[in-house]
Amino acid sequence: MTVKVEVIEGGVPHTKILIAGLVCTIVCLYLSYLNVVTNTEMFSFFGGLAAIAALIWGSHTIKVLCSYGIGTGVPSAGMIAFGSGVIAMLLATTIKVDVAIPIVALVLAAIIGLILGYLANEVLNMKIPAMIQALTELAIVGALTLMGLAVLITGKFTFVGLTNGSVTLLNSVSMPSYQVSFIGGGLTAVAFLLGAIAIQHPFNACLGPGWKQDRMLMLTAECGFLSMIVAAFMSFALIDAVSAIISLLIALIGWLYTYGEYIRMSKRDAYAWLDSKPIPDVEGH
Amino acid sequence: MTAVAAKPAAGSAMNPTAMVVGVILLIILLVIAAFVSPGLGLMALIGVIIGGVLIGFGVHFVPVGGAPAAMGQAPGIATGVAMLAAGAGLAGLFGGAWAASQGFAIAIITGGVGGGMMMAITCMMVNFVYVFGMGIPAASGKVAKDPITGDTQPEYKSQGTEGHGLPFVSFVGGVTGGILGGAGGTLIYLELLSLYQATLPNVMNASSAQVLPIAVSVAGTFAIGMFLVNAVLTAYNITGTIEGPHDPKFKRWPRAIVASAVASALCGLVAILIVTI
Repeated sequence: MTVKVEVIEGGVPHTKILIAGLVCTIVCLYLSYLNVVTNTEMFSFFGGLAAIAALIWGSHTIKVLCSYGIGTGVPSAGMIAFGSGVIAMLLATTIKVDVAIPIVALVLAAIIGLILGYLANEVLNMKIPAMIQALTELAIVGALTLMGLAVLITGKFTFVGLTNGSVTLLNSVSMPSYQVSFIGGGLTAVAFLLGAIAIQHPFNACLGPGWKQDRMLMLTAECGFLSMIVAAFMSFALIDAVSAIISLLIALIGWLYTYGEYIRMSKRDAYAWLDSKPIPDVEGH
Repeated sequence: MTAVAAKPAAGSAMNPTAMVVGVILLIILLVIAAFVSPGLGLMALIGVIIGGVLIGFGVHFVPVGGAPAAMGQAPGIATGVAMLAAGAGLAGLFGGAWAASQGFAIAIITGGVGGGMMMAITCMMVNFVYVFGMGIPAASGKVAKDPITGDTQPEYKSQGTEGHGLPFVSFVGGVTGGILGGAGGTLIYLELLSLYQATLPNVMNASSAQVLPIAVSVAGTFAIGMFLVNAVLTAYNITGTIEGPHDPKFKRWPRAIVASAVASALCGLVAILIVTI
């Protein structure tokens, strides 16, 4: 393809974003384990925060990868991230030791991403220096983002927790139902696309000669909170209303803040802007 | 930074060492599958690999134009491989999944027809927009004559472009790619669905009717995931744009076959491990 993406120096180095993103995601996922410790669902919102931390890291990885001009469009990187991530995440949830699940997901996704990176770089002869590392990171980001959204929606990250649900009949009798669950209800597919859109959009929207790191990462956070709002709405079906409202409030506040910041940064980076009101008041006609 | 200097060197050249490593990886993954789940699991994995290879091969047929096509400066559909493959493949996959209860052969044919129809409609509407909206004729920049109809191309090609619109051969390629992709995606779904329907009741201690939503959902999610992985790897193989089966880039398909087979084997093995450990 003929589109060339300019590489711009400056900003926080990628390694730092990688480490910060990884640590924040894992810590937030483990904080959501407070649900099990305290036997509530109040801490589900940590799942959403984990997803946003992973997305911020992932969108910067996409920036690193796509700066080489891979020719397939930025969204393809988001798609392969979640395509490989969902597979690793679902296998990791079946591990019997609950506490190990996020780490197992990380390791599994890293293995899958490593092999996919090798295939792309060597078998398909792409020869892009950042390819293997980027696809490994993206698979991890995909797996952890999905796990975060799963925690946000259901409060748990075990296979049993994600597949078991219950329906209440006649306001009293509670019956187990596999259909009212994260996996059985097909919410995996929704979480998949909520994450995939949030990870590929920021660089796709911000790339070009005027690319600024903080603006792109703020847009990622904004997209992440937007996905979190939708996921928080879905969580009303699977966790108690108070916990879902907490998630929704945090998502709304986060979205409003990041949206405002993003608009501020866009105005800062723009050459000039005119605040044209949506419909001007026309009087005296 | 070195990023600008180091342009992707993906040419048509093959990397023999990497191809051999890929085949060895494929065999290792098959052996692991035979070890953890002989019989049912291994058969499912072989089906998944065939499905993945069909997807990888099928994507080569689809005329992907990318951004230049949106400006009428290159032939093809004006979007990226991932989007096109997802559109056609998922349309096929949904069609095939709907027909899953009708039997294996009918479901796969339905999947293929679904993918093919999606691409046929897309290709037709793309040409409609090109011809009546943008006022440009369909002309290939890669061949002098359409390999199927024999129509000459250069007279219709604007100067400074690589061709534009969708010539007949690209249209046929798009439909062929849709059929292969839809059938491949459906094959992956059916193999995983039959595996999960057979094993999940034991794993979850529930009746087969109760686990059906889980089996359908997990198999569907995996099929979508594998479809996207294979489609994006193939997109990397053709580095973005391709005109269809007559494009010189089409000759790169052996690399994509190896990559798709290994990637499908890897993802398929993970999918099988869910019900075996």
